[in-house]
Amino acid sequence: MTQQSESSFRIIGHSVTRSDAEDKVRGKAQYLDDLPMPGVWYADVVRAPVPCGKLRGLHFDESFDWTQVVTVTPEDIPGENIVDMTGLDMPFLAFDQIQYQGEPLALIAAPSKALAREAVRHVRAEVEELPAIQSIQEMVERHKTGWADSLRLLEKKEIRRGDAEKVLADSGKVLEGEYWTGFQEQLYIEPQSMAAEPMEGGGVYIRGSIQCPYYVAPELMKALNLPLEKIRVEQTVTGGAFGGKEEFPTLPGGYCALLAMKAGRPVKMVYDRHEDILFTTKRHPSWTRYRTALAEDGSIAAMEVDMILDGGAYTTISPVVLYRGILHAALGYRCENVTVRGYVYASNSFPCGAFRGFGAPQAYWGLESHVEDLAEQAGLAPDDFRLKNCLQEGDVTPTGQHLLTSVGTPAVLKEALRRSDFHEKLARCDHGRPDAKSWYGIGVSFFAHGAGFTGDGEAKFGSRAAIELGRLSDGGPGLTIYASSTEMGQGAKTVLAQMAAEGAGLPFERVFYPLPDTRVVPDSGPTVASRTTMVVGNILYHAGHKMKRLLEETASKHCFGGASVRLEDGRFFAEGVAARLFEEVAEVLLAQGEPLRTEHQFVLPPHIRWDQEHFVGDAYPAYSWACNVAEVEVDPLTLRIHLRKITAVYDVGRIINPMLSIGQLQGGLVQTIGYALMESMQVRKGLYDANRLQTYIIPTALDVPEMDLHFLEYPCGELAPGAKGLGEITMNGLAPAIGNAIRRATGCSLRSIPMRPEDLYATLYQGAKDQ
Amino acid sequence: MNTITRTWVVNEVEQTVTFEGLRRLLDVLREDLRLTGVKEGCGEGECGACTVLINGEPVTSCIVPAVQVPEGAEILTVEGLEKLELGRRIQKAYIEKGSVQCGFCTPGMLMSSYALLSRNSRPTEQEIREAHAGNLCRCTGYEKIVDAVRAVADELERGTRSTV
Amino acid sequence: MKTLEDILCRQPETLREALTLLSDEATRGVLLSGGTDLIVQWQAGAVPMPEQIIDLSAVPELKNISEQDGRILIGAGVTHAAIRNHALTRGALPALVASCASIGARQIQSRGTLGGNVANASPAGDASPALLVADACVVTASLAGERCIPMKDFLLDYRKIDRHPDELILRFELTPCPKGGIELFSKIGTRGAQAISKVMGACRIVMHKGIVEQIALALGSVAATAIRLPETEALLTGKTLTEKLVDEAEACVMQEVHPIADIRSTAEYRRWVSGRIVRGFLASRMTGFGPPSC
Repeated sequence: MTQQSESSFRIIGHSVTRSDAEDKVRGKAQYLDDLPMPGVWYADVVRAPVPCGKLRGLHFDESFDWTQVVTVTPEDIPGENIVDMTGLDMPFLAFDQIQYQGEPLALIAAPSKALAREAVRHVRAEVEELPAIQSIQEMVERHKTGWADSLRLLEKKEIRRGDAEKVLADSGKVLEGEYWTGFQEQLYIEPQSMAAEPMEGGGVYIRGSIQCPYYVAPELMKALNLPLEKIRVEQTVTGGAFGGKEEFPTLPGGYCALLAMKAGRPVKMVYDRHEDILFTTKRHPSWTRYRTALAEDGSIAAMEVDMILDGGAYTTISPVVLYRGILHAALGYRCENVTVRGYVYASNSFPCGAFRGFGAPQAYWGLESHVEDLAEQAGLAPDDFRLKNCLQEGDVTPTGQHLLTSVGTPAVLKEALRRSDFHEKLARCDHGRPDAKSWYGIGVSFFAHGAGFTGDGEAKFGSRAAIELGRLSDGGPGLTIYASSTEMGQGAKTVLAQMAAEGAGLPFERVFYPLPDTRVVPDSGPTVASRTTMVVGNILYHAGHKMKRLLEETASKHCFGGASVRLEDGRFFAEGVAARLFEEVAEVLLAQGEPLRTEHQFVLPPHIRWDQEHFVGDAYPAYSWACNVAEVEVDPLTLRIHLRKITAVYDVGRIINPMLSIGQLQGGLVQTIGYALMESMQVRKGLYDANRLQTYIIPTALDVPEMDLHFLEYPCGELAPGAKGLGEITMNGLAPAIGNAIRRATGCSLRSIPMRPEDLYATLYQGAKDQ
Repeated sequence: MNTITRTWVVNEVEQTVTFEGLRRLLDVLREDLRLTGVKEGCGEGECGACTVLINGEPVTSCIVPAVQVPEGAEILTVEGLEKLELGRRIQKAYIEKGSVQCGFCTPGMLMSSYALLSRNSRPTEQEIREAHAGNLCRCTGYEKIVDAVRAVADELERGTRSTV
Repeated sequence: MKTLEDILCRQPETLREALTLLSDEATRGVLLSGGTDLIVQWQAGAVPMPEQIIDLSAVPELKNISEQDGRILIGAGVTHAAIRNHALTRGALPALVASCASIGARQIQSRGTLGGNVANASPAGDASPALLVADACVVTASLAGERCIPMKDFLLDYRKIDRHPDELILRFELTPCPKGGIELFSKIGTRGAQAISKVMGACRIVMHKGIVEQIALALGSVAATAIRLPETEALLTGKTLTEKLVDEAEACVMQEVHPIADIRSTAEYRRWVSGRIVRGFLASRMTGFGPPSC
């Protein structure tokens, strides 16, 4: 059950070259802004000038020739002025209340970007400004001091197991700690890009850089007053997303659609970077407070967590981020008394949104920083404490889920500690001793990530995908996959084709994964939640098997005189006759004219039970597990932090493509280096202050330390071929590992990220209580 | 407002372009010459996605006014790499080493690799990283890009030795 | 609305042509060198887009590096990359070379020029501290003739230089690092490369038998312009370098700087690390270790 798996796969588990690499290195891959769009106009947005207030009027300057452009105001919206997302609280165009600076008030399309921008400057919003909430610090202050009613609560949720409050009250020694994280911008290198054009017979065709075609279409139905079949959405080659193109693109997609429908011509919108940073979603800032008590034997007797997220101005997907946040806030160690209380409050800034990790990185910053203090209190080294208390097979999570299968803990923890020589290196840590030329520190974190939608989400959703025999672009026969999952760099196009090819008994090269178009693909669900390889891969693996049987049956009938046929690795075998190549047989089958298509719908293993109201039961179909070890050197002269080495071990179930998996891990870890050490933004004067690449700092090739990365495979037996989730867990644990290393290097516990020399200085030399 | 005409050698082909004022080289390449392989990621010379070579030197074309590119200059973009042996080697290495994920930074990144290896065929690890420090990537964490460049450098070194 | 394409661009091909354009108000456009800062500022709206510019990129007289009468002459149009690569600058001006290597990344170094960097007069201008410790003179030119202005007098205030409207910066004249002397450079940035500095410092020091014979110290990003540290220099000159003196120098530096808080750093950290940078320079001379890492 807990052994490493063996595999007899032909394609799965092999580092097949990704199918889109060639076009990309030749400069031939066409992103939205590369597509020729004759006659297209350019969209721009009139935006609210204050973070909170009442809109009294919109004035269009008469000195501008408005006949040159097309404008859309709330009155022009064909249906309801509402974005169909959770809470139904966000209009497309603000018309009365302004809830964040930059909130769209009107839309403009013009033959050139410059003219559109000029038109925007000729619209004046008359506003009555009102007091705004602009920081999580303010939010937490009000929450703590009993003034939470003055805040807009977007969602709250609780997890309870046992009676943490009682155990803490009875305990002599409650350990308390507060932890903070800030905004983070996804910083995909391709900015937000969308285009729309009106369709013949009514309706609209939307294209763009998106993760979820089936989010965009339904969410626009109310505003466009169109049925789903009249909103066609197609993904274009996407230059990075990380969650930033999950729910957000509905907005620019909607702007382009509204303008295109009014103008009767195609309209596109490609954000410039400054605009992109200012007016798109960010990772939710967070505050967590841990109150814990140890039992006599050094185990954790009780854990109480309060978590607050800053949701920005509207609900959008904040509830789901909160759910994942609270589900991970105490997910790591055995404890029978756990209470987690989570809240998302609104503030007057751009609605926060999806970003790789989706609440879990925030949760683990708190948990894994706090565990360092717990370990100290227990008199145990940080590795020993974790080894003693970490969840293992047979244990129960805070929601009461029994960890029975595919449980890569404590394996990942042990392996990372072993590979990094953690225990030996502990003795070398400098703890800020004077007269040291350099302060060395090593730190560890242990964490998980629930793969797939929470609870019975996957069951409710019923994702579907299909495979069809046809002709590929090289003229030869092959399989085309119809699924709504999107390739955004992570390799989905390749690994999904690998799984389909494996199931179908064909070579990888004969399977094609096109850009999803809602006109032709079923809804396999959004490309989020680390679900694609696990869930959609499972669907395509089964659809692939179905296709194999269908091909065998059809080949038997048309090519083998009814004999029993086996399709294996691109060849048809029958008793007593020479094997025949797929290419040859497929030509015959195609000529018959019967469509050869198989479909499959996702079936969640039935034993997974979840109570959404009480947050009890099996929170996720499977968990990935990981351990990160970070080694730092802090320069006592300047307090600069140099990351020297990362050791990381992950159990993400079956590895479908080792090269792509390592690539995801490397990328996610480097993105987390930015989160932990460099990426910093606040809302100042209504807007994010670091709003250009000169000021919003992400890692370069010179900021990457030595990395020792390793996978242990504990395949998910119930969901063949056994992958779990990889994309997001890469971001969950590195920040606290680095923080714990800095703590051992300097003697200084930093409670908020990013961690910078200025923060070390304030704590070490200015006596600042770390905020 | 003034109109300027220049003839450059772009990807080994002579091209005559006409533009106004301080029009960006990036726009002349993407819009007039339809070289959409050159990408715009930030418009402020920070991300490197728009990197091209002018007479062998890497520049961020989004902040280069076309008027500053002299008559007869040689410009190399990603589309031209496949015409050059070193270019093809680098492209092949990127594919084989898994250096491409979303691909948006890739054209600019390739240009920096080409610029480095064409002037220094035995770069150290530090030199490789420094040569690419002006190309931001959010997907790969840079490791496999460095691997690819190192692989080509190793190839070149083996090639040199074998001809001695 | 104004775009880059609307700007009238004149591109003189000789120095004389450029000076003639400058001499006449009607043709006196904004001077453009490498454009790595200006183009960005115009597009961002931080600086209004000009009606017309004079592009200096084709003026050959601005692109030379040479030696004359014991001074090194660097044309205002010389790029950071060229300064990094040239034998003269590499040999005699290591702090300047290190500064140029720290500016942006390769793509910016290929385009940005020394003259542009100084004329931009950002408090974080990477070349200025090295120029200050090299006792640089800025040579400006107009049709009327040339002026030679000491660097510290040329940087007037935040983004203000002593350039008359009809002048351009022609070249910089620097004293090479003297025999027995060493130059050091340190930049505290927001990441490993391509970073605007929080604080940076340059030092030129000549030691003899443990005594500081000559010292020049300059810091950037801690005042409206890059500055020399005359009080700290006076404190150190002619003295034996001891731990105690280094402590005193560190404290003196902290008094001489006037840092602000901004998006990159805090005033307190900048003030403190200014002293630390100088401590690092001096400490390396005491132990004989190499210069502190940039």
